[in-house]
Amino acid sequence: MIRSLLLLLVILFGYTNVCSQNKEVLYDFTEIPQALLLNPGMEVGFSWYAGVPFTSGIYGQAGTSGITVHDLFANDGLDINEKVRTRALNGMTQRDEFGETVQVDLFNGGFRSVKKPQDFYSFGVYFEANTILYWPRDLAYLAFDGNADQLGRRFDLGHLKTKGEGLTVFHFGINRQIGQKLTVGVRGKLYSGIFDFNSSNNDGYFVTTAGQNNILANTMVADLGLRTSGLEEIRSILSDETSGSVANVLTKRALFGGDLGIGVDLGFTYQLNAQTVLTASLLDVGFVYHSGDILNYTLQGSATIEGVEVILPDAFSDPNADLWQELVDEIEALIPFEENTKSYITYRPTQLYGSLRYNWGVPNNAVDDCDCDISGNLKTNRFQYKNGVGGQLHIINRPRGPQAALTAFYLRRLGSIFSLKTTYTADKFSFSNVGLGINIQAGLVNFYATANNLLSYSNLADSNYASFQIGLNILSWGNN
Amino acid sequence: MYSSIEHISGAVVSGMKKIYTFFLVIIIGCYSCVEEQNFDQFDDLNIIPTIEASILYVESPEQVINDAVGAVWYSNTFNFDAFNEAFFADNVVDGVITYELENTTSKELEIIFEFLDDTGAVLDTENFRIDPAPTAILTREIAYGNATGRSLDIIRNTSSIRVSASNFGDNTSVSNLPDPMIIFRSSAKFRVRLK
Repeated sequence: MIRSLLLLLVILFGYTNVCSQNKEVLYDFTEIPQALLLNPGMEVGFSWYAGVPFTSGIYGQAGTSGITVHDLFANDGLDINEKVRTRALNGMTQRDEFGETVQVDLFNGGFRSVKKPQDFYSFGVYFEANTILYWPRDLAYLAFDGNADQLGRRFDLGHLKTKGEGLTVFHFGINRQIGQKLTVGVRGKLYSGIFDFNSSNNDGYFVTTAGQNNILANTMVADLGLRTSGLEEIRSILSDETSGSVANVLTKRALFGGDLGIGVDLGFTYQLNAQTVLTASLLDVGFVYHSGDILNYTLQGSATIEGVEVILPDAFSDPNADLWQELVDEIEALIPFEENTKSYITYRPTQLYGSLRYNWGVPNNAVDDCDCDISGNLKTNRFQYKNGVGGQLHIINRPRGPQAALTAFYLRRLGSIFSLKTTYTADKFSFSNVGLGINIQAGLVNFYATANNLLSYSNLADSNYASFQIGLNILSWGNN
Repeated sequence: MYSSIEHISGAVVSGMKKIYTFFLVIIIGCYSCVEEQNFDQFDDLNIIPTIEASILYVESPEQVINDAVGAVWYSNTFNFDAFNEAFFADNVVDGVITYELENTTSKELEIIFEFLDDTGAVLDTENFRIDPAPTAILTREIAYGNATGRSLDIIRNTSSIRVSASNFGDNTSVSNLPDPMIIFRSSAKFRVRLK
């Protein structure tokens, strides 16, 4: 049972990618249709594509910062308590995080307009779920050490920060080539929230001091909150409090039966010169309004207690008073734990991508750069060079502020079948993240696979993070 | 039209076979890249914080003692559910209760601190006798649950606390110290197993 729980923990939290949904290998990998989801203004060369349902884009990402599964569970003969003490409690800070992201394309497709070949339309539905839990350092110390013999030490309750959500995203994008140099794109999104929980604006502390009257005083100042949506109905079904099926609830909420939201992606590609390309995109500028099946919890207030106090002669006035219960009641009144069903809004984790690419090398099946846009007779995009090298930037907005990553990449096209992209990414957590992506065009079948942090694959358990994406599409570059 | 569809489907099937083979190789390759982990170590993980808090504070001015009839000038039983609350009672490992008695009155006093179960039966008793002022603060630590401590069952089954105070002096004198009174303080420090 414990093993199963551990495996579940590893799956859920064990490998959160601290690169925070950075799909650095897929970004601007223009042979892959799903790259359009990262930049709606990407240069699109294909005529149409149809993603294989449930298979066109399967993305998973998990990891931790500050610690790995191997750090704790390596079969090294060390005492687990000592490892937890030195590597987790003393080794991690409240900025370290655990998390995961899963994204699955339910269906995805796109086609070039016949009447207006400068326009490429893409659409689809995908499911996304992600969780993030920041290491609650002070609460962990409180759990492992307690408050004894630590007079004056404030345990920061604000270290509790977590959020998670599951939603389906219905999207439609327009990609337009404007002249030779510029391609712009916009993608509208409708979010159908399935579940959400977040507890990210917490504040307060717990401290033990010398008492004013008694030996010790315990003080709590709390401004804690947990907002949930879509979980209470599932909980009541699982606990047999109400009838129904969890699958029906999830399906209903996935199809606009739950929380609703809107968002937009923007992007462009600009040819600085014949061989140099600048791209940028802004993703998930939007919000979800949570209004159904809401259950929020709050713990707000402050109290200092020094145990049961009997002050004579005042206490003689009510000798039968239940002083213990009065103390409990007083604490509950000063720091009430309350529930409410107020609707709330969550903003999507907005992401920014940018890249600068330099291309060179004539491909094997090269034709001259046509000096035309896609509406010309060639009906294909600009000249595809054999090589590309450049840098990328990724920034995502997270509960503890923006996180940035810088990537250097090299793209290589091998004939008309294979193309490879390798990346090196540096961020505040890692300077050894090497990624690789491969795209195979076998007839009409397009298959791609990307993965990052490859150097850690010699022992995945010792990896701070890992992510992968695979997908299968039917894709045409010509006039099929 | 039919031949075009046949062509497309043939190309799709052929491509898919190659791709699935490639995918299988990747999965098998990754599977072999995980060093063996020993998750059984989790069973050995101990989470045993030590928590401390005050229990009971009683203060009485000397005038209250002088006004009382008889030697026992105060006796009361307090409901105290902190110790027999299920989680604490089930998981307490050991601990110490600290008492402090401060007497600035002119009288020799006795305080009897008793732990009672939910039937009112006395589980444990602690007697304090303190000289008239000027006298040092009396401090006493009583251990529970370790090798030399008293039985933890005392703590687990405590449902109320009785405090009785007796005067072994007179009923007229008043200490010349400012604001003379008897003060009883107590706190508990216990280790509790969370895992």
